[in-house]
Amino acid sequence: MAATFFGEVVKAPCRAGTEEEEEEEEESRRETPEDREVRRQLARKREVQLLRRQTKTSLEVALLEKYSCSKFIIAIGNNAVAFLSSFVMNSGVWEEVGCTKLWNEWCRTADTVHLSPADAFCVFYQLKSDPSVLLCQCSCFVAEDQQYQWLEKVFGSRPRKTTKITVLTCRHVTEYKTSESVGSLPSPFLKALKTQHFRDPVCCSLLEQPNIAHGLPAAVLSYCQVWKIPAVLYLCYTDVMKLDLITVEAFKPVLSCSSLKSLAKNIPQSTDILKKLMTAEGTQSNIYT
Amino acid sequence: MASRYDRAITVFSPDGHLFQVEYAQEAVKKGSTAVGIRGTNIVVLGVEKKSVAKLQDERTVRKICALDDHVCMAFAGLTADARAVINRARVECQSHKLTVEDPVTVEYITRFIATLKQKYTQSNGRRPFGISALIVGFDDDGIPRLYQTDPSGTYHAWKANAIGRSAKTVREFLEKNYTEDAISNDNETIKLAIRALLEVVQSGGKNIDLAIIRRNQPLKMFSAKEIELQVTEIEKEKEEAEKKKSKK
Repeated sequence: MAATFFGEVVKAPCRAGTEEEEEEEEESRRETPEDREVRRQLARKREVQLLRRQTKTSLEVALLEKYSCSKFIIAIGNNAVAFLSSFVMNSGVWEEVGCTKLWNEWCRTADTVHLSPADAFCVFYQLKSDPSVLLCQCSCFVAEDQQYQWLEKVFGSRPRKTTKITVLTCRHVTEYKTSESVGSLPSPFLKALKTQHFRDPVCCSLLEQPNIAHGLPAAVLSYCQVWKIPAVLYLCYTDVMKLDLITVEAFKPVLSCSSLKSLAKNIPQSTDILKKLMTAEGTQSNIYT
Repeated sequence: MASRYDRAITVFSPDGHLFQVEYAQEAVKKGSTAVGIRGTNIVVLGVEKKSVAKLQDERTVRKICALDDHVCMAFAGLTADARAVINRARVECQSHKLTVEDPVTVEYITRFIATLKQKYTQSNGRRPFGISALIVGFDDDGIPRLYQTDPSGTYHAWKANAIGRSAKTVREFLEKNYTEDAISNDNETIKLAIRALLEVVQSGGKNIDLAIIRRNQPLKMFSAKEIELQVTEIEKEKEEAEKKKSKK
């Protein structure tokens, strides 16, 4: 209680809280059974499932616990996925070992059960000639509340420190903070961000402050930093976020880094595959000519 | 900071930016590449053709448009904005001809387009035009001209320039290869334009459109066959140059 200038007594807000206030707040905070049910349903809807794709059965353990690997390459976003498809996956035989299935508001369908692979799957592949190499193609959006689930399902609760992680993704060049004008930046361009335990040389300049990584790539890097796993993120800043030949080719310097050097063999054929991917994507919209 | 100063076109940011104009320049980069070259006796406009849908009539997707018999332009950016600008420019060309009984000079019509674009950067409720244009032609004095305009309403004369996606790559190519020799001959100028486009165009000659204006002659659009012939010649010359290099 406090007295004002005019002599009236008013109830002053108290951060410590009084007994009466706490009871009132608790009542309003108390969940009804309906609230709990809604929350449960929502959590079930947004659950990240790790499946064997062909059989659609759940994998009981985390992916990297089941398939131990020394190199794990993750492509997030359609340009990064196209890069790995054209330059890495065509140079060997890759076997699909699993996928994560998830639903969130960014999915184009409201049906959380019958999701299309393009919408909501991250697919994991293992190189047949060297099973210690795993690859992830993730073209769906993983929401903030689903990222930790995704990490647990993929990396597990005690990830191995011997695995080297490489993440590839794109961001729009207008999100790149610099004193230069955005128009003068030679987009697309590559920047790297690595964890403390990543000792290998990177194939491009490091991401300068105050720029940060976002979304699933940031979650992966943070997870690796906490668990002392060597990981590097190659971030391509581009002015075309849709599938674009020039953006995909901007990832080419990554082929010289230690994780990918031995994996990319047939570059001319890769360029052809990439061109086919581009035309398969369909014609552009008519808004820009 | 940008988000507070990019809602209304008429607002400067504290460091002097007009963000809507800069964002309009980003829209230009979404259009496919166009290149313009000013030769001694010829002006050339080359564009990267957009891939059209199967059921779409190709003739309705044009990046090179005539503004008058002796002036034409290529644009990059928002298609609808380009249509609006081109219509206004065409009307102005005829109005000028009827009023002063002389065709417009290339500089006059460029200035008209640039002034129109600038007006749209300085009125509220309107956004800038999201196009850059390359305007070429011959004046009555027989001198070839090439001008470029951008969404801010500025215009400059150029010897050679490129706009749209990968314009930087094409411009760097032109800076290296635009020589007096390269433009002395009409055919060489045409080849230079095609070579510049081939640096960035994905599937070669069939994705290129070309237009030329020669002194005292009307605009000529190249057919797909003619472009293929040029591309074949260029590839032959490249092979011969490489053979010579390897012999040395």
